[in-house]
Amino acid sequence: MERDSGDILAIQGLTKKFGDTVALDKVDFNLCAGEVHCLVGENGAGKSTLIKILAGAERPDSGTIIAFGQTHSRLLPDQSLEAGIATIYQDVELITSLTVADNIFLGREIHNPWGFIDANAQNRKTSELLRSMNVELNPLSLVESLSPAQQQSLQIVKALYLNARILIMDEPTASLGVEEVKALLKLIKSLTAQNKAIIYISHFLSEIFEIGDRVTVLRDGKVSGSFNIAETTVAEVTRSMIGRNRSLFRVRDRVSTDEVVLQVRDLALRDQFSDVSFDLHRGEILGFGGVVGCGRSAVMNVLFGANQKTSGRIYLHGREFDVSNPAEAIAQGIAMIPEDRKTLGLFDMRSLLENVAIVRNEKNPPLVNHSAEIADTNILVDSLHIVSAGLQQRIGSLSGGNQQKAILARWLLSQASVYIFDEPTKGVDIGAKEEIYNRMIELVQEGKSILMVSSDMPELISMSDRIAVMRNGRVVAQVDNRETSEHDLLNHFLGIV
Amino acid sequence: MTAANKFGAKLRQTLLSNQWSFLLIVVAILSIIAGAINPRYWWLGNITNLLGQISVLSLAACGATILIISGNFDISVGANIGLSTVVMAILMRSGLYPPLAAAIGVLISILCGSSIGAASILFQAPSFIISLAAIGVFQGIALFITQGTIQTIYGQFETLGGAKIFGFLPLLFVIALAGYGVIHFILSHTQLGRSIYAIGNNPRAAYLAGININRRKLIFFAINGLFIGVASMLLLSRVGAAQPSTGTGIELQAIGSVVIGGTPMSGGKGNALGTFCGVLLWGVIGNALNMMRVDPYIQDVVIGLLIIFAVAVSSLRLRAQR
Repeated sequence: MERDSGDILAIQGLTKKFGDTVALDKVDFNLCAGEVHCLVGENGAGKSTLIKILAGAERPDSGTIIAFGQTHSRLLPDQSLEAGIATIYQDVELITSLTVADNIFLGREIHNPWGFIDANAQNRKTSELLRSMNVELNPLSLVESLSPAQQQSLQIVKALYLNARILIMDEPTASLGVEEVKALLKLIKSLTAQNKAIIYISHFLSEIFEIGDRVTVLRDGKVSGSFNIAETTVAEVTRSMIGRNRSLFRVRDRVSTDEVVLQVRDLALRDQFSDVSFDLHRGEILGFGGVVGCGRSAVMNVLFGANQKTSGRIYLHGREFDVSNPAEAIAQGIAMIPEDRKTLGLFDMRSLLENVAIVRNEKNPPLVNHSAEIADTNILVDSLHIVSAGLQQRIGSLSGGNQQKAILARWLLSQASVYIFDEPTKGVDIGAKEEIYNRMIELVQEGKSILMVSSDMPELISMSDRIAVMRNGRVVAQVDNRETSEHDLLNHFLGIV
Repeated sequence: MTAANKFGAKLRQTLLSNQWSFLLIVVAILSIIAGAINPRYWWLGNITNLLGQISVLSLAACGATILIISGNFDISVGANIGLSTVVMAILMRSGLYPPLAAAIGVLISILCGSSIGAASILFQAPSFIISLAAIGVFQGIALFITQGTIQTIYGQFETLGGAKIFGFLPLLFVIALAGYGVIHFILSHTQLGRSIYAIGNNPRAAYLAGININRRKLIFFAINGLFIGVASMLLLSRVGAAQPSTGTGIELQAIGSVVIGGTPMSGGKGNALGTFCGVLLWGVIGNALNMMRVDPYIQDVVIGLLIIFAVAVSSLRLRAQR
């Protein structure tokens, strides 16, 4: 019945490329007033790019966006707001040191005749607004004292106050508890009753089937399916999320041995994860899968000494392994290529040479042997095909793929026995991806072992010998990659049995 | 494109590529103007005097270079100098062998400098604030032990400040040059130096690359303390007297020189040559204004404006690079 009101938003043939990577490929999408249109897909399927384009943060290469009858080739941030499109991000965008009312009126304050802010009027209007939406909040509370769920509700209230007619919600329930999720879903239902339209992005299919009217599935930047929720099943949606081209999968030789290199038993870190146990063998790549925030990276940080475990035991080559910082872990032969290379890996103002040689030099104090570091770095620059204007080029000016290869080179020079790769190919082009995979395979052939956290399904299945799946801070399954499929893994990730 | 245009583009390229080359050009222009107004600017006596004048600042700026590149600050340098010079002078007056007294003063500077690093690590607080608080502590101790009086040591400790090599090159300046040599060596040829840049650029990444950040930070502050100690020694020898306010304000000149020399306030890059040129600019501005007989009150105004000009140009330069 709501569908009859017609499309308020129609996207046609939207395409967006980042270098060689096609993030969105001729995507069509439409939205009617009063409906919840869900958007699903694996990490990197193009969901974020789509909502960034709608919010005006990215510019599409081609395609049209028709919002409320007006055709645009791109949206600017203020056009997007003016058209009534509001995005509720995962990271709450509120000023936490101000009150609820202050945040709602931020930049649009109500003034009294003397030009001062009329706090009473603001608080009164906020109360009315909150009451009309059945959100229980005190207008005078400081935002920092609110729970994540309350902050999210406040963002929604603020968006509606600004006359938003389309709300985009990106993983709104990722950090919420069960009760809070229920409250949020209820709020969303009440919004559709007011004829607001919602684009809802979530990893949790159960939520989608609870509140969605339609669901569109993105896969590798293309729409791979669009269904009416009433007429589809979880199985049909997950099938649409996977089923990739076989060429994305590769088969590699197994060189895994029976020798256990790293034993982890009942490892726990406060509320991050618990009961984590696994063995890593010599020559093995053990993949870690799961949805974002399931605790995989936290486990890796403990193994690397960047965080301290609260309980459990780790054995490396049969000896108890207990380190209090990364320096000690490195000394014992652990290397970690971190997930976020920009904040955790790169010295962006420094040269390629300094970035690659830093761990190597740290092992050979106190003087820097210039000819030796240049020779070592050159070998890896050549073998990994790192493209630069020379070793002295500032690494910040290299492409993402070359930066990632440089970080890999840094750790290859450390001569570790266990390599941790956290999202090894995130944001790198296809060529660099290939080099990184080849180098990983060479490492295991040399008898090293690899722990690999990956959200890229083909990567996880192709590169791993075995895959440990984590959900809510626990290892829920350990499967052999030959005996699993995308479909099985996704079910493990999402907790569908 | 005309030849003049080409030349202009090339000149701009050179100026863009090196902070120090830009500073040297400013120094040259100032010198030409000062020399034209007062030929005595180029007299050996004046140049010798100028080099002596910038020596103490040079050493303070050497320490500051290491700290600022690594993302740290010490603004208690002046108070530290006040305390250590006063202690040196009192010990010399009491008859202690002057080199020994000087060595004790240097140790005090190292201790004071290191304690700022230690407190900053221990309390996980910015070194800027810790050193701000330390100014009062160091100056208070100096005031207490002197009861505010000037400690004169005329004739006891003059060799260092007065000696001239080949009859014209002040020993002070040679020591300052050695200071630049030391920090250049550290920054370019040691892993400690690489970690100064790494920690200043991205401390989290440095930690994950296996660098013990806290231990390094303590070393940076100890090195800074050593430079302050040597600077104190030279200053005392040059002036022949000490009081708690000796050295006041030198920290800001030092920080200014380092930043003018191309090190960003947020750290991560910079070098010894840049700092040297920054110090030189500072010294030449003061000296040239004197030579041009600019009213002393107006001098401060002009110095301030010239420094702002230098900072503005270098910041525009950095933006153009990006």
